[in-house]
Amino acid sequence: MQKPAVWVICPAFNEAATIASVVAGLRRRRYDVVVVDDGSTDGTRHIAAKVATAVITHPVNLGQGAALKTGIDYALSQGAEILVTFDADGQHRAEDIPRLVRALTEQRADFALGSRRLGQPRNIPLVRRVFLFAATLFTVATTGLCLTDTHNGLRAFTRRGALALRLRQDRMAHASEILAEIARSGLRYIEVPVTIVYTEYSMLKGQRTADFIRILLDLFAQKVHR
Amino acid sequence: MIARALLSLLLCCVLVYAWVEYRRSPVIALSSVVASLAGIYFVWVPSHSTLVAEFVGVGRGADLVLYLWVCISLIVLLNLHLKLRAQHELITKLARSIAMANVQSPAPNAPRAFSVEVASQTGLPPPAAGGHTSTQMRDQTV
Repeated sequence: MQKPAVWVICPAFNEAATIASVVAGLRRRRYDVVVVDDGSTDGTRHIAAKVATAVITHPVNLGQGAALKTGIDYALSQGAEILVTFDADGQHRAEDIPRLVRALTEQRADFALGSRRLGQPRNIPLVRRVFLFAATLFTVATTGLCLTDTHNGLRAFTRRGALALRLRQDRMAHASEILAEIARSGLRYIEVPVTIVYTEYSMLKGQRTADFIRILLDLFAQKVHR
Repeated sequence: MIARALLSLLLCCVLVYAWVEYRRSPVIALSSVVASLAGIYFVWVPSHSTLVAEFVGVGRGADLVLYLWVCISLIVLLNLHLKLRAQHELITKLARSIAMANVQSPAPNAPRAFSVEVASQTGLPPPAAGGHTSTQMRDQTV
């Protein structure tokens, strides 16, 4: 059987420090990589352009959700059969992708979601752990999906799965939105253990715990205003 | 009497506004309708405002009006927030189509380099060939 065309989507905002090694690691494994530079000011796209299969640059900063959607649209237009979302800050490991892909092809799921709970977490800070637990409860309550880790940037979709997602959240609320869309689509989803590497750099770049108020506000505004 | 007429006129404007906004955001529109109808009623029957105020435990009718005013302001604020969001969605669409028209596809040994399909969709020359693009640009300007 021919290997499916796997496209890895890397949204990046001011990731000049890590983007080259992250993308090179993916390219070594023969994945097509599309880097979506979300209006960076540190030359991320010039660095990415040397290694990635394609680089798309947002003229202004729109947010991670918007960057993901742009990447997904592009990968679909290039005939991607499997789409993987992968953070550009180096917190994910390329070694975990084959497992996600296998979950899709062998277990006939349309969405494979990385879970750091099932994997071996590497020094998750306490505050982050409390926040992630709250986010998980929120997701189970609002979507009915039974997941152990709801806010993991490492995911894989089949083409059919990606086409079923209607994404409108530009900023960080997209993580909840993707789950809500998975629930709405009624397609099969599966969780796969992955390892997240928490470094000082990724913590600095990552979400501040207070950002969840803004995420709730974004989700609420979408409910009020369709 | 003049004050009453003026206030009524203003509140009627709010009603018209709500009618216009109804299709975009029914929640906002309906709350404005309720608020302005209550306003018109109390403008013409001020004694009832005191009754209602006493009933809900506010004390004076004037205080009740003040509280209602605060509520209306909050609704307007929410509406503005929603409008900003709608605007942002437009910006996103715009930025995305600009970005999609300028895909850089640099790696020459890429399994699927910048395809003819995308080039024809965007109507642009493949940016993969760096020198090629700039010659084309020069041709166009000459």
